[in-house]
Amino acid sequence: MIEKPDRREFLKSGLVATAAAVAAGTVGGIFSPGKSFGAEMPDLVVSHGLDPAAITRAAVDALGGIKRFVKPGNKVVIKPNMSFASGPERASNTHPAVVSEVARMCAEAGASRIAVLDHVLNEPRACLKLSKIPEACLNVPNTTVSTVEAKRLYREVQVPQGRQFKTMEAVSDVLDADVLIAIPKGKSHSSSGVSLSMKGMMGLIKDRISFHSRYSLHEAIVDMVTVLKPHLVVIDGTHILSSGGPGGPGTVIPLNLVVASTDMVAADAQMVALGTWYGKKFVPDQVRHIRIAAERGLGRMDIDKLKVQNIKS
Amino acid sequence: MITFQKVTQTVTLFLFLALLLFAAYPHYDGLAVDFFLRLDPLISLGTILATRSFATYLLPGLIVLAAAVLAGRFFCGHICPMGTTLDFLQIPLGPRRKPSAKNNTYEATERFRSWKYLALGFVLAASLAGVSILFVGSPLSLATRFYGLVVHPLLLLLGDSGLDLAASWLPTWLSADLTYVQIAGRAFATNVFVAMLFVAVTALVRSQPRFWCRNLCPAGALIGLFSRSPMLRRNVNDSCSQCGQCIRKCPTAAISENPAKTVYSECIVCLECVRICPESAVSFSTSRNEPAFSLTPDLTRRGIVLAMGSGLLSAGLLRTGINQPTPRGKERGLVDPELIRPPGALPEADFLTRCVRCGECMKACATNTLQPVWLKAGLEGIFSPVMVPRLAACAVNCNVCGQVCPTGAIRDVSIIEKKHAKVGTAWIARQNCLVWEQDRKCLVCDEVCPYNAISFQPVPGLRNAAPVVIENQCSGCGWCENKCPVQGASAIRVNVIGEIRLASGSYIEKAREYGLSFKTKEAALDRLAPGTFDAPGTSIEQAPYSEPSGVQGEELPPGFMPK
Repeated sequence: MIEKPDRREFLKSGLVATAAAVAAGTVGGIFSPGKSFGAEMPDLVVSHGLDPAAITRAAVDALGGIKRFVKPGNKVVIKPNMSFASGPERASNTHPAVVSEVARMCAEAGASRIAVLDHVLNEPRACLKLSKIPEACLNVPNTTVSTVEAKRLYREVQVPQGRQFKTMEAVSDVLDADVLIAIPKGKSHSSSGVSLSMKGMMGLIKDRISFHSRYSLHEAIVDMVTVLKPHLVVIDGTHILSSGGPGGPGTVIPLNLVVASTDMVAADAQMVALGTWYGKKFVPDQVRHIRIAAERGLGRMDIDKLKVQNIKS
Repeated sequence: MITFQKVTQTVTLFLFLALLLFAAYPHYDGLAVDFFLRLDPLISLGTILATRSFATYLLPGLIVLAAAVLAGRFFCGHICPMGTTLDFLQIPLGPRRKPSAKNNTYEATERFRSWKYLALGFVLAASLAGVSILFVGSPLSLATRFYGLVVHPLLLLLGDSGLDLAASWLPTWLSADLTYVQIAGRAFATNVFVAMLFVAVTALVRSQPRFWCRNLCPAGALIGLFSRSPMLRRNVNDSCSQCGQCIRKCPTAAISENPAKTVYSECIVCLECVRICPESAVSFSTSRNEPAFSLTPDLTRRGIVLAMGSGLLSAGLLRTGINQPTPRGKERGLVDPELIRPPGALPEADFLTRCVRCGECMKACATNTLQPVWLKAGLEGIFSPVMVPRLAACAVNCNVCGQVCPTGAIRDVSIIEKKHAKVGTAWIARQNCLVWEQDRKCLVCDEVCPYNAISFQPVPGLRNAAPVVIENQCSGCGWCENKCPVQGASAIRVNVIGEIRLASGSYIEKAREYGLSFKTKEAALDRLAPGTFDAPGTSIEQAPYSEPSGVQGEELPPGFMPK
């Protein structure tokens, strides 16, 4: 279980900082579920614009800025999609500018180590090269982009809330990280409907094959994210892979947006609703793992009841 | 003591190993990583005989033969990595019985000398009959195979273990930079047999220094035939005191009981006798004071006939085995369905005739799918390369196996040609398939297929769409078989069905002729400018069924549930 001093600590510090406000009886927003930083903080940010880096920065800023998540000296793991040996045009990997911008913000916030990690599907060197993610992160301080194959980089972790499994092997650095940031591509997936922040966490565990062969995929995804729960989610919707996912080729649709949230379920739900998938529109609970995650209390998919902030840059 | 020979041997062994290390993906154009293999005169002559054709890349071996007329077996003493390895192993293994001026004369060590000529006769006779068994005797094939398939994986394992140790022993601040350094190990079938053959050969240094070079090496014999009276001669002047030091120290026992006399077909020009002579009586020069002294080993006409006869007989035996690619009177031989040759491999009979089993292609293979085969291709096919997709698949944008092949058994074709060099076709073992058998949701084969050769079709009685192979888009690369999540045997397997084996000409044209269409997903992407829509049907040509980019009516796309 990644313990990150996010919500609880923020609530605490919020309590101290707003002690006067509490006394004044204006505390309602702070204690509302799913909200974390007072009434003015949105649950979800949808940041529109043509420059992937600019809309990414704007989205994180609207959520309270990267300093809300990353403290000086923190070890940060960023999980993009770079599983496929293909370029950004195919939209099966996260846009490199979105990844590098988040990494840059983490560096600015004083992160001591930023590891961009993915357990890729295609040949690792080809994935790294063609995804252009290492290239984009080249000049970002303290940042490394790596694929994760070696057994020694994983360790077993308990999954106390697991229904399909009680232990799994996850990337050690992720388990030891202070902050985990998911930056998935918005894309369709031939088995899980869509592959967003929750499905994307399968790139931080050792054995994905069992997810397909031994377990029920959607239930297993939810079991996994009870442990691998990102503190910040930025979904790359600059272009979505609307069909033919996860690897493509498929229909690539420019949405020119990113979705950001601290709630992985809400972010995924929002992306499902924003996108067109296989030529159709869907509501979030048509994706089984999103529905299960919401039912199991890991986040909210009732996006119409959440505070969504649309911004443009 | 740093001698001339030690310098040349160190340099050439280093070059040999460096080139072998560079036999990898990506391949550097213009770097002849197979250069040392092509220096082996046995590979050159044997391949020319077996294929009844000459190609310029076989020239270096012939040049080595021609050079023997000038400088004798200089190649054996200075260049051959097998000889250098044996000299090196000699240090710890040494001969049990120390060579002396008595027991290390040519005459005293003549007993096994003729074997190498018999081996040469045996191997070349088989080549004459069109069957290449050069790999049993070619020193460069032996050494390349050993270093590439046995030593290299061991070193990788050592490195990886070192990283494991570093991760647990070094302080974090030191090991942090090493964290994501990952060494992908390599594994080879038959590696134990490759090692055993090499050990058997090298262990003989317990009996005599360079036992292999003196008595067994057919390439050495071949060079020896050309160096019976070389230009460069060993001269012993009058100050010789007959002390016998040169005889004692000669690694190939090429000096006669009379230390002034040299058997040039055995002398490897190591110059040890020059260095060791207390009277400085020995020198090498081109002066011809007397005709070259010649001692031929106990080589009878009967022996030669027997050796060559058994070579011919062996060729015949191999060619009448049931695995023969082109048995007489039959349209085709019994082909193991999993004998998937690398893309660009010549038609099977030509392929086996050219392949010298050096293992260079397997060493270089980007994914480790190329493996030496044991008996699947018959006795004749031992150590020849075969794809094992369940272990690893063929990398789409790699053609390195053809680029490094020293004899052209695998053609050196461009990437785009290679993509059309179909090696087989995937078929679905429906009883093993999660979808077909258990009606579970799984599309891994489609996800990983680089050619979009898997389509999912609705099947009566199944809730989930089931995978079907579009055979005219399948190149046989094996990604589906490799990544199939079913444990044990894959539910989708590549067999040799439909492989394209061309001796010459374009694979693209042949594939077009056969109605095949290999569009890699990357290629399909080229027509996809960012921000534009992929028009349905443009990325897949001639597809009987293409995954819809839109879903009609009430039908739900994969992975979605009704509201």
